[in-house]
Amino acid sequence: MGMRANVRRELVLQLLLTLWIWGTLRVSEGIWLNLPASGTKCVSEELHTNVVVLADYVVVSEDNSRLPAISIKVTSPYGNNLHQKENVTHGQFAFTTQEAGNYLACFWVGADNQGGGDVSVNLDWKTGIAAKDWESVARKEKIEGVELELRKLEGAVEAIHENLLYLKSREAELRTVSETTNTRVAWFSIMSLGLCIVVSVLQLWYLKSFFRKKKLI
Amino acid sequence: MERRQIYVVAALLFTLIGRISSLSVTVNDVECVYEYVLYEGDTVSGNFVVVDHDIFWSSDHPGIDLTVTSPLDNVVHTVKGTSGDKFEFKAPRSGMYKFCFHNPYSTPETVSFYIHVGHIPNEHDLAKDEHLNPINVKIAELREALESVTAEQKYLKARDARHRRTNESTRKRVIGYTVGEYILLAIVSILQVVYIRRLFSKSVAYNRV
Repeated sequence: MGMRANVRRELVLQLLLTLWIWGTLRVSEGIWLNLPASGTKCVSEELHTNVVVLADYVVVSEDNSRLPAISIKVTSPYGNNLHQKENVTHGQFAFTTQEAGNYLACFWVGADNQGGGDVSVNLDWKTGIAAKDWESVARKEKIEGVELELRKLEGAVEAIHENLLYLKSREAELRTVSETTNTRVAWFSIMSLGLCIVVSVLQLWYLKSFFRKKKLI
Repeated sequence: MERRQIYVVAALLFTLIGRISSLSVTVNDVECVYEYVLYEGDTVSGNFVVVDHDIFWSSDHPGIDLTVTSPLDNVVHTVKGTSGDKFEFKAPRSGMYKFCFHNPYSTPETVSFYIHVGHIPNEHDLAKDEHLNPINVKIAELREALESVTAEQKYLKARDARHRRTNESTRKRVIGYTVGEYILLAIVSILQVVYIRRLFSKSVAYNRV
């Protein structure tokens, strides 16, 4: 009797989960990718340190009788494995970036696909301010409606300001590299000319002494 | 669990005024990305920049093409042969839009793109839903303006990334080619001296040269 109740609860939970997935699918954000039957499809983003990343992925099919399973692997720029799942139909992951660089998320179709057709995956990838949990802010500070929307706009403006400062610092780095390369080009060209002259003088001096030794001049 | 699901769905519905996606993808031949537009008349805006290109000799990038196809399979927007551009169009109907990048050359390129679907509630929506009032319209307009600033920033960031790669490549080339040039110069001059010595060291050809 206990086991039957468990099975029923499992089915109800499964149904609710499916409904929830379809519910969120109608309103879900993010891009859709078409995975070929064989081969990997990767998306990446270049992020700096201390950025919150929140991502959701769901496999979509026209007939929800059978959802193909996919595998996913998320790697950091230094090669660390941040999230890896095999043969799933949905999932989510979140991390805060420790290193600056290219973060890669790769999808490929699982081995037990029936071999027909492409698989559609919805990937909802949010970074920075978009990944902020506004529900908890609303609950904690007990704000809602227009005030919450304005608070979100304030967050967006702060994110814009931070981005601008970040772009400024990147531009400063770029400028130092450019100026270093500029001075190096000047110095190396002059040194190259000097080296050429020195080498030819050495050659002439050596050959002169060689011919003097051989008593030709 | 059920209450939480309803709460989540309601929260998502409430926050649904605009959607953003910003990612990079490697284009070998054709890569397509799909984005769902919920309401007809939404403004779809975005930009893309070709970040990684391994062109050795020429300084000009041949460019990639972008084609945007509506759910009815007619082309809504197309850009050809650029290394980065911004786009904006009004969606003629709701549905799944296809953004395809086409690379006419054999070298794979990395394209960093950003797509934003923005919805501003109009009078029809105001009349339908009694929870919306005109202030929501103004807030939506403000939000869209801020999103356009964010879009510009993402475009600048992608362009900066590309500039950085060119800079790094120039720096490496300057050092590498200069050191190679010096070594080659030294080797060539030593070889010259050795050759001239050999011309004179044979006793047979002693008087002939």
